Amino acid sequence: MSLVYVTNVTKEYANGEEMIRPLDGVSLSIDEGDFVSLMGASGSGKSTLLNLIAGIDQVTSGEIVVAGTDITKLSRGKLADWRAAHIGYIFQTHNLIPVLTAYENVELPLLLLPMSGAERRKRVEIALEAVDLTSRVTHYPRQMSGGQEQRVGIARAIVANPTVVVADEPTGSLDDETTEQILQLLERVNNELSMTLLMVTHDADAGSRAKRKIRLERGKLMENGKDTKTAQLRTA
Amino acid sequence: MFKFIPYILKSLWRHRARTLLTVSGTAVALLVFCFIGAVQQGLLALTATEDAGRTLIVFQENRFCPQSSRLPQDYERTISKITGVKDVVPIKVFTNNCRASLDSIVFQGIQPEKLKAWRDFDLQSGDFTSFAAQDDAALVGVDIATRRGLKVGDKFTIGDVSVVVRGVFQSATAAENNLVFTQLEFLQRARGANEVGTVTQLEVHLNDSADPQKIAKQIDQVFKTGPVATTTRTKGMFQADTLADLAELIGFVHWLGYACVGLVLSLVATTTVMAVQDRIKEHAVLQTLGLRPSRVFALVITESLLLSTLGGILGVVGSTLLLSSSGMSVAAEGVTIAFEPSFVLAIQGVLIAIVVGILAGIAPGWQAARTEIVPALRHA
Ligand SMILES: Nc1ncnc2c1ncn2[C@@H]1O[C@H](COP(=O)(O)OP(=O)(O)O)[C@@H](O)[C@H]1O
Ligand SMILES: [Mg+2]
Repeated sequence: MSLVYVTNVTKEYANGEEMIRPLDGVSLSIDEGDFVSLMGASGSGKSTLLNLIAGIDQVTSGEIVVAGTDITKLSRGKLADWRAAHIGYIFQTHNLIPVLTAYENVELPLLLLPMSGAERRKRVEIALEAVDLTSRVTHYPRQMSGGQEQRVGIARAIVANPTVVVADEPTGSLDDETTEQILQLLERVNNELSMTLLMVTHDADAGSRAKRKIRLERGKLMENGKDTKTAQLRTA
Repeated sequence: MFKFIPYILKSLWRHRARTLLTVSGTAVALLVFCFIGAVQQGLLALTATEDAGRTLIVFQENRFCPQSSRLPQDYERTISKITGVKDVVPIKVFTNNCRASLDSIVFQGIQPEKLKAWRDFDLQSGDFTSFAAQDDAALVGVDIATRRGLKVGDKFTIGDVSVVVRGVFQSATAAENNLVFTQLEFLQRARGANEVGTVTQLEVHLNDSADPQKIAKQIDQVFKTGPVATTTRTKGMFQADTLADLAELIGFVHWLGYACVGLVLSLVATTTVMAVQDRIKEHAVLQTLGLRPSRVFALVITESLLLSTLGGILGVVGSTLLLSSSGMSVAAEGVTIAFEPSFVLAIQGVLIAIVVGILAGIAPGWQAARTEIVPALRHA
């Protein structure tokens, strides 16, 4: 039993006359507690696949089942509720809300869930502690460094204890030293908090830190040099 | 949704210059709206009261300005004998300005006992006895006293009429707060020897069962062949006729009130559209975190609602303060329209601001809610 099943997913864009098909019948399953890196050339469709799994984009065809729910069948409103409960999203450029403090940014996902104020406070404190930012709670994003902002972004992604944490190039705009800090933090999120992690990156070093590495090439997913579909068919 | 109020307030505060301009623009427009409404209500009040339909005013035929209407005072006796008439009050009217003016002062000379019987007011200062005892004494309406800075003991002169203030009164009828009451005989003499024995108008109070229209006809019939022919109308009709020109103008100004509402709508909508465009990416992030599109819509509506409601409240409060402190009025030919703040108008103003706030937020809110997340996240 895996946590995430991507089955025969195709995504097409109409670009004028021409059709672009970044994902062409992609299949993939991710086990609970795994740390998967998704690599590939720029424009190979990595973000597209991640966004489909995160439920912020719609498939052209195919099925995505996460923790038993086929998310391709949900309405926009229901899908939003589902994201609030199941997905933690780490952006390349943190995307913190500039008018809110670090604390308020981390609290934001919890406001969407039925939860008491005391419970919220406890969870925010735990999340901020996990990213080692307890001394910066009242700071605004503009008062923090890029690394600190990204740590707040990670705290925001894990605070609601999601089913899957997805990260799209989380170290893409950071220097080497900060990249290392963030990668260590992501490893801790996976190991110590036992969260399932899917990380998109085009950086081979970053990608190699994951437990499982897959690549997108010309619309197909490859693992250990083989198409994941055939790999999956074999195990099925 | 209330959990997001701090976020909305902080967003508004982040663009405080824009917020402040929108709120103050809304406030000014609503101030004008309420002011126009007050003028309109003042006009309505003249014709809508019960007294306006049950009391008759006898005026000289074909005359409009009070200075030109001259009725023999002894018409009083003739009219008193008509069945259905309870009492007749002879009144001499003098005004400094017969044309439409924002600072006209209207004197009504009335015998003290009739004044006491037929005018409903409270003296804020001074006393009635000293008014009745002194020939050139005057009771001044509170709005004039405010406007001209008059108090008991002051002497003031308009044209060739000089009086001493013996009291400042607050009337139940707003328009009367712009009147000066003097003794009838004093005002007759003050205007020259040939005015003695004449009055401007006669106010006829009827028994409850009497038919005002019938008695008005009867009065005009009696004097048709008399020394001076008369026109008798209900007080409401008399005031409406006298102010007909002004009423037309006020009716037109009414449209300016609606224009103000349109102005607020476009102002708040513009600001909200700008706010939404500034935050395309931010809304996409909120949606990624799990905010429903309907909630994004609600966020935008709330923001626009806050802007216009805040502006509306400031405008309504401002107009109330302005109207109640200035005692402003407009008068023509001796009839006054008082501009008064009213609770109904204030509520109306705030409700309009609320409705406009919601309307202004619909289009940008819809736009924000419909935005596709992934392209919006790529937005700079
Ligand atoms: N909204 C869109 N309209 C048209 N083409 C798009 C759109 N979004 C992405 N694409 C195309 O899909 C392909 C995959 O994009 P993406 O998933 O962002 O790649 P990656 O993240 O691997 O760099 C690219 O060729 C990109 O140009
Ligand atoms: Mg990408």
